[in-house]
Amino acid sequence: MPKTIMTVDDALTMRKVISFTLKGAGFDVIEAQDGVAALGVLKGRAVDAIISDVNMPNMDGLELTRQLRQLPAFARTPIILLTTESDPEIKNRGRAAGATGWIVKPFQPEQLLAVMSRVLPA
Amino acid sequence: MSETRQLCTFTLGDFFFGIDVLKVQEIIRHQEMTRVPLAPEAIRGLINLRGQIVTALDLRSRLGLPPRSASLPPTNVVIHTPDGPVSLLVDEIGDVVEVDAAGLTRAPDTVRGAAHQVITGVFRLKERLLILLDTSKVVELPEPVPAS
Amino acid sequence: MDASIQQQLIADLLVESFEGLDRYDHELLQIESGTAGADSLNVIFRVIHTIKGTAGCLGLSHIQRVAHTGENLLDLLRSGGISASPEMISALLKLSDALRSMLRSLEVSGSEGDADHSPLISLLDRLQEPLGAVEPLVPAPVTAPASSPVQPQAAEPAPATSASAPDAGFGFFDDEPASVPGPETLFTAPVPAPKSFPEPAAPSASPGAGAGAPAASVASGAPPSENAGRSNAEDSAIRVDVAHLDRLMNLVGELVLARNQILQKAGVVQDPTLLSTAQRLNVITTELQEGVMKTRMQPIGNVWTRFPRIVRDVSAELGKKVRLYMEGRETELDRTIIEAIKDPLIHIVRNAIDHGIESPERRAASGKPEEGALVLRAYHEGGQVIIEIADDGAGINAEKVRARALRDGRITAEQAARMPDREAFHLVFLPGLSTAEKITNVSGRGVGMDVVKTNIERIGGSIELLSELGSGTTLRIKIPLTLAIIPALIVTSGGERFAIPQVSLVELVRIDTAGEGRGIESLYGAPVYRLRERLLPLAMLDRELGIVPAEAATPGSEAGSNLIVLQADGRQFGLVVDEINDTQEIVVKPLSKIFRSLTCYAGATIMGDGRVALILDVLGLAQRASVLSDATTQAAAIDPARAASVLANREKLLLIEAGGGSRLAIPLSSVDRLEEFERSRFEWSGGRQVIQYRGGILPLVPLNRLVPNLPEPAESTDHAQVVVHSSGGRSVGILVGQVSDIVEEEGSERAAGDGSGLLGSTVIQGRVVDLFDPTGLHLSSL
Repeated sequence: MPKTIMTVDDALTMRKVISFTLKGAGFDVIEAQDGVAALGVLKGRAVDAIISDVNMPNMDGLELTRQLRQLPAFARTPIILLTTESDPEIKNRGRAAGATGWIVKPFQPEQLLAVMSRVLPA
Repeated sequence: MSETRQLCTFTLGDFFFGIDVLKVQEIIRHQEMTRVPLAPEAIRGLINLRGQIVTALDLRSRLGLPPRSASLPPTNVVIHTPDGPVSLLVDEIGDVVEVDAAGLTRAPDTVRGAAHQVITGVFRLKERLLILLDTSKVVELPEPVPAS
Repeated sequence: MDASIQQQLIADLLVESFEGLDRYDHELLQIESGTAGADSLNVIFRVIHTIKGTAGCLGLSHIQRVAHTGENLLDLLRSGGISASPEMISALLKLSDALRSMLRSLEVSGSEGDADHSPLISLLDRLQEPLGAVEPLVPAPVTAPASSPVQPQAAEPAPATSASAPDAGFGFFDDEPASVPGPETLFTAPVPAPKSFPEPAAPSASPGAGAGAPAASVASGAPPSENAGRSNAEDSAIRVDVAHLDRLMNLVGELVLARNQILQKAGVVQDPTLLSTAQRLNVITTELQEGVMKTRMQPIGNVWTRFPRIVRDVSAELGKKVRLYMEGRETELDRTIIEAIKDPLIHIVRNAIDHGIESPERRAASGKPEEGALVLRAYHEGGQVIIEIADDGAGINAEKVRARALRDGRITAEQAARMPDREAFHLVFLPGLSTAEKITNVSGRGVGMDVVKTNIERIGGSIELLSELGSGTTLRIKIPLTLAIIPALIVTSGGERFAIPQVSLVELVRIDTAGEGRGIESLYGAPVYRLRERLLPLAMLDRELGIVPAEAATPGSEAGSNLIVLQADGRQFGLVVDEINDTQEIVVKPLSKIFRSLTCYAGATIMGDGRVALILDVLGLAQRASVLSDATTQAAAIDPARAASVLANREKLLLIEAGGGSRLAIPLSSVDRLEEFERSRFEWSGGRQVIQYRGGILPLVPLNRLVPNLPEPAESTDHAQVVVHSSGGRSVGILVGQVSDIVEEEGSERAAGDGSGLLGSTVIQGRVVDLFDPTGLHLSSL
């Protein structure tokens, strides 16, 4: 069964970029436009990994990570944060929130897939 | 093994035509039509296909064949086009036939005029010639010349 | 990535980025004017951040680079590192211009273009210098890192800290040493120094200040925590594919048809259960229809977000001071209409600043505040949306307009002399007529207002101009809420049914040749009809469409035909049809592209009986019949002043002699038809007077039962004049005594009504007349 990855980003195009890349590699992808929407979905179902933008309206990626880590079902789920090179301190905060790793935006499809193969070994 | 094509066949007078079966959306019996004044002659009118308005094109007129007798209600072959479904009015529907794709040959030079532009080629079947139509060309009508 | 996917993603990026940049400009101008909300900087930052990230992923390195420079500056602003100066705002506006131009180039040519944005990049870099180090003499930033955005790769120190993949652009926290400060210090170091400053007052703080986790949270802690768990209307919205909505709309259209069929059937069968079920279905369908139509609605504010920017730029260019006020930005319109009015609105706004609002000096000299006011206002009124663009500028000089139109031969001296000002204003809508004394870059090239008017009318809207010399000008645009479902008049000609959009309808006239001989006349071979001292050019629908041969009927032989007075392009003409059936709400469906050259059709619809009917395009039909062109004799017979007054769209009133010297006026818009019945045809049913009418039973009500203090209508004649009024699917015939005229309301203030059917009173032809509108009546109770 293909693994399911949730991508959380308020930018539609970015979600699609991630979604196309992952689907092309055989993953199932579900999308959410911010932390609140993601939490809403994740209360009803499990996913194998989450890729979330940090800077989003409503609920940012850090808060989403914190809240997910408090849910037993997501205590160990890989959570990858999308960050930017100009936000070094975000990485500190990402680590503190309980994220698994980060990807710097912009990224190449191969980078995204490399991260996925690391957190979701076949 | 050679490649085969499935063609939806129909008749117009004595001629036997085929179009790619994948292009056909559905076949429906004769429908009441609303004519469109000033439209090109081949356009017979508009039909209501489950709430969608579909243009009906008389293939006889399009191919320069004599008009169908009034006692013979045409059948609608609804085909997909980039501009939505279009209904082609034909005399009678035939079977779906499978032909050898390699058997396509050029239309005979005797086919002229309007018909020539919309015919991809012919297949020589055992008992008759099957004329393959290019549906994208069929629905491309010359700009009507508005009557002044 | 697959080329077609890449293409689709770029298309998405374009939509998303253009939308984002409009929002960006809007918020930025709010910051400039000091009216920004707490979240403005975050919104602005996110727009650029998103563009940069997405563009980068799609390999659009130019866009990424330019956006990146802006992002750095915005990040500083957002974290409070620096505060916004006017220079900064201007630079940030230039940034959105630069991004837009690259996006547009991408849209048009598929490449980002090769425009040189390095001056902008160095300007944005320079503005990041904390100590106002903005001397133009120092174009190259003194600190080395500031130039790094030009080469984003070089400025990406973060990946280098990843223990697992040194240059991979990603990393995992568990790969790193547990002690936090080590690696973080490493990757904060190369970042441009000012970036980590929590306060501009601490410029010399070392990068290490931002290294420890607690300190870092001070630097940028506020925005994310402020955001958490907050929700507002905008964020609760979702994106839906427009094709999806169109499909839903189509389905609802079909449901409406099915409902109509069942209602018809239920009326015949007389089964009480079926009847009540059908009525329930009726209510639900109507609500569903409204609901789905709502999903296609967008607030007009979506278009308006661009106006602060336009106003700012245009007024700066012209050296004027203008303050923009916007009211009713939440007013919703169908998205296709929003799209159609966007450009006309921009043109009007530019025009208002260019020609309307005076220079600060002139304003001061005439005792006005130096800053002019421009008001955009939108609101609902009677099933339409009204958009007003008002300025407090110089107003239009009617005398100049008249003179110009006279000089151009558009009107005669006699017409000019008796044309009232408010009609003269509408001459500015004539093609090629501009009264601007000097041609500016902004407007005044003589193209424009006529195009604006045509565009508004194309979507079934109308435009009206009010102006007072010295005090200002107001343009009022009335537009329908939606284009998908419209009220239409159904007519028959040559055995075919056609739908005519009601918005073009002026009035219905029954031509009775048996009467006073006022039938169709011929003027230089063209058919005309004398309607209230005015010659109306005519088109015969069946002949125009070639349903009957042109020579089949000669003018004048159309004994007892139906004339529909239509308005197109501000002028009126009469359309002769065989039969007028009824009015219906119809669902507009597009015609195949095969018919694109047939401009006399606006689309098609499916009628209650399941058959298709064509919708006439009134303007296209009029052009085909040449009833509007100046070349025809009949157009010359139309008084342009009259045409101008039609433009003004003043309400038409049916004037009634109610007996005993009482006069009453009914708005023509609530009159479906005017009929004359033989009294001998009246019947009694269920205690009320009725008449068999058009295949149904029409209840009849004397006017004096609806309006207090009117005398009994005289029954001295064999015929009774009846106003047929319909609403909510029911019709009633109002016995009105004698119809005397159709007049236009003369603009005098209406006195308030008393809550009955009376709207109030107005002055018509020098007499006070009560206004009666049957629209508010409960027809079921009559």
